[in-house]
Amino acid sequence: MTGTRAGAGPLLEIRSLKTYFFTQDGTVKAVDDISFQIAHGQTLGVVGESGCGKSITSLSVMRLIDRPGKIVDGQVLLNGVDLLTKSDDDMRDVRGDQMSMIFQEPMTSLNPVFTCGDQIAEAVQQHSTMGRREAWERAVEMLRLVGIPDAKRRATEHPHELSGGMRQRVMIAMALSTDPDLLIADEPTTALDVTIQAQILELMRSLREKNRMAIMLITHDLGVVAEMADEVVVMYAGKIVERGDVKTIFGAPHHPYTQGLLRSIPRLDARVDRLEVIKGTVPSPLNLPTGCLFKRRCPQRMAICDVAPPVRDLGRDHVSRCWLTPEGEPPEVGAETKGAEAEEAAEALTVGAR
Amino acid sequence: MVSRADVSAVEIERRRREEAEAESEEIDRTPVRSYWQLVRRRFRQHRLAVFGAIALVVLALYGIVVPIVTGGAWHQTHLFLPEAPPELFDKDGNFTFAILGYNETGQNLFARLAKATQTSLEIGLAAVLIIVTIGIFIGSIAGYVGGWLDNLMMRFVDVMLSLPALFVILMITAFFGGGNVWVVILAIGITGWTTAARLVRAEFLSLREVDYVQAARALGASPRRIIIRHMLPPALAPIVVAATLGIADSVVVESALSFLGFGLGSQEASLGTMLENAQNYFFSGPLKVVYPGVVLILIVLSASFLGDGLRDALDPRQRIETK
Amino acid sequence: MADQTDQTDQAEAPAHVLTSAERTTARGGSATGPLLKVENLVKHFDIRGGLLGVTKLGAVRAVDGVSFTVNEGETLGLVGESGCGKTTLGKVILRLIPETSGEVEFEGRQLFHLNAKEMKAARRDIQVVFQDPYSSLNPRMSVGEIVGEGLFVHGMTNRKEREAAVRDLLKKVGLNQQHIHRYPHEFSGGQRQRIGIARALALRPKFIVCDEPVSALDVSIQSQVLNLMGDLQDEFQLTYLFIAHNLAVVKHLSSRVGVMYLGKLVELSDADELYESPRHPYTKALLSAIPIPDPTVRRERIVLKGDLPSPANPPSGCRFHTRCPMAQEICSVEEPPLRDVGGGHLSACHFAEDVSPLREVAAS
Repeated sequence: MTGTRAGAGPLLEIRSLKTYFFTQDGTVKAVDDISFQIAHGQTLGVVGESGCGKSITSLSVMRLIDRPGKIVDGQVLLNGVDLLTKSDDDMRDVRGDQMSMIFQEPMTSLNPVFTCGDQIAEAVQQHSTMGRREAWERAVEMLRLVGIPDAKRRATEHPHELSGGMRQRVMIAMALSTDPDLLIADEPTTALDVTIQAQILELMRSLREKNRMAIMLITHDLGVVAEMADEVVVMYAGKIVERGDVKTIFGAPHHPYTQGLLRSIPRLDARVDRLEVIKGTVPSPLNLPTGCLFKRRCPQRMAICDVAPPVRDLGRDHVSRCWLTPEGEPPEVGAETKGAEAEEAAEALTVGAR
Repeated sequence: MVSRADVSAVEIERRRREEAEAESEEIDRTPVRSYWQLVRRRFRQHRLAVFGAIALVVLALYGIVVPIVTGGAWHQTHLFLPEAPPELFDKDGNFTFAILGYNETGQNLFARLAKATQTSLEIGLAAVLIIVTIGIFIGSIAGYVGGWLDNLMMRFVDVMLSLPALFVILMITAFFGGGNVWVVILAIGITGWTTAARLVRAEFLSLREVDYVQAARALGASPRRIIIRHMLPPALAPIVVAATLGIADSVVVESALSFLGFGLGSQEASLGTMLENAQNYFFSGPLKVVYPGVVLILIVLSASFLGDGLRDALDPRQRIETK
Repeated sequence: MADQTDQTDQAEAPAHVLTSAERTTARGGSATGPLLKVENLVKHFDIRGGLLGVTKLGAVRAVDGVSFTVNEGETLGLVGESGCGKTTLGKVILRLIPETSGEVEFEGRQLFHLNAKEMKAARRDIQVVFQDPYSSLNPRMSVGEIVGEGLFVHGMTNRKEREAAVRDLLKKVGLNQQHIHRYPHEFSGGQRQRIGIARALALRPKFIVCDEPVSALDVSIQSQVLNLMGDLQDEFQLTYLFIAHNLAVVKHLSSRVGVMYLGKLVELSDADELYESPRHPYTKALLSAIPIPDPTVRRERIVLKGDLPSPANPPSGCRFHTRCPMAQEICSVEEPPLRDVGGGHLSACHFAEDVSPLREVAAS
């Protein structure tokens, strides 16, 4: 049912992806030169605040970008095949078969006039040679798998008859019915209450183990990422500012933005009088600063930050887009370096293709 | 851990300013724009709406200016000029405005069409005024008070809507004497307010629950102030849209009435009477149908373009996100 | 029948709340007794139908007999999931929606018995900050008009005077005074929330109901607004009723925390104690469900079965028994009263003493 499962190499590889929106007021670089990989069975967390481009990244992978948006450059390789060069028809086969997506608000992706069972069965039939009855049985089985009690009866119900948590389960059932290699989950639990969120995360975890499926988890909730992800990508204003193993990102973050983000969340297990904050707000995408995009809000701003910082390799697959040395010191070339000299330094410090 | 009390007010002030500083930096880059400036901006982006607005202004000017300049030319008959082709100057060399020629009774078509445009637009505007007044009155009461009164009023609206409007209008004009402009206006007005009332009511019902209205109540603002300052302005947006479209509707209804012989008398000039008159001469002078027809279509199209544009422009949800 | 048990339960509750309040170390607050007293508050939304919509078909029991007090200078947090009635409770206290029954006492005066004029005066002292930074500001009014609205309504009709006051307020909430003539759409979510706070502050209130004030904000902005609210509390001796679904946020700002479930207060205690040793299985489940932003820490996870029952038709006995991992036979029959389980810690559970604290488990 699934496509060929290549043994070696990453499942998904994104290379210099650029997705721009051409608005009347100017070009918005929603996703600007992004590269990362997801291995088979791995969970990658993509975190960032609203407007950082995390959702656009996932939509770009699914090739669901509509005008005025456009993928202007880059490659999206799924099992080594570039999705961006596929025809629309071929792409439709990939979607739902090799990769599926679940959204924050399930009602937007479930059709209100068909029963849940019908919708799952149809998805199954589209990507297999199963007959009507067989597909229906598969749908009921999927609903049972995602923990919906009395699945047979629920399959005959319409989406609006279910609660928010149940709908999200139906969506997951539908997304998983074709046994995809990659599940893209865009804020899958943001609209849910914490106790229901716990149920859904538990479900995703167990299904991930069972199906050996990779997950690209997009969320703003650092707690969810800490709990679910193996590797984390932190996005800011359309760029990846830091990427690394989940324990590294949470234990020893390098980029001032990641550090600020982690320090600014109120914690249950500690009481502080004043929270640490990141000052200011995300810059308007039409009015981005030159050089480092975070410099206006950065507590460690230096003169050199007016030049685009290097993407530093910090070892063990940990990279950070910042001038600071791995130890957090001002850069080797000096904090006051300007112009061409700084640009050269940035180039020299930037990690290679990966 | 520093206790909260130890932090001096000055220190807190400093930190607070620092935290917000970068934010103001961000906003200072954008020019000040009021809500209405944004409305204008969004409206100008809507090309068809701008076209509609200009077309309506031109038509209105045509309807106002030409009858003034030409005086009674629109009803003056010239026995020796039936169906005469366009001529710009009469035999004395005076400018005649007969750009479109003459009809079967020798009336100046250009002047008559102008007068007809004027009459039709007048009827449309007056009818819409009635529609909007009744609509706001009924709708705002139903929406603000709610409960059984709302239910009663809305069931009445349902009854009104279930009646075939054109039939009711025909009955009214037949009873109270066709040919009178005011009867036609009233007939259109009192059958057409239901949609406007529903719009206002729906708007008020949802506005009642909106946070900023709740906030005004929490501040202690009186119901009058809440309605006038916080609820009517946003509710007016859909009304303006409905009114614009209503003008087009009313003009069409008037034309239909006159065409059927229940509207204005055939001596009066309206788009309807001109069309009705022209049908008898369709084969000999087809242009006589085309002229009022084109004006009618222009009015209807322009009004609905304008309505569309206003709907988009007045909707604050249509934020220009990207500044 | 059920109502009767209700009333007897609630009648004894306030006494405990008081004792609890006295030992509370409210941050910067003086424990001079309750500023706000909510007694057996009930709000049912009738479900109506029929030809004119006057036939009563049923009722959503949004708030169903809630009592607590808020002391001057403290922050009482109120947590619960969607549909638990916490927002409705806030609106009834503010008299934005009419109560079904019960009393709210503010500075010794019963709010529900005030006439329009007295209520308008009382509103100077009781203000509100809303969740949604977009719908809570009138898009057609400038910042100056929005913040100055309360001042105008309460008689400051001189424009110059009002503008000066508004400028001062903007400064207090960390906004640039130059922005007084700008419109809400030009501001980011965090700044809009600051405007909303300035509006609430304009009348120099004593008490502010904060209804999810940071839920709609980004993580980095959340902390800014929380800090601001803490600062303002110190500066103006404000008392907050802080309503939110995020327990970490509530804990950060609150001295005491109440937990609501299906229209009922199920637990109320000192904030730190609530988090260290919850005495209600629902609170415990809620706490355990929160993902910790630290991959090296794993806590015991209690995954509740099923969904929230409908508040139009709540379960018999203890409302939580349908999902409770500790439920016994008695739970579906007898409604547990909100009782003191030690040191002013209130819990509405038959087996409150048996609820164990959350265990930490080693990360995998």
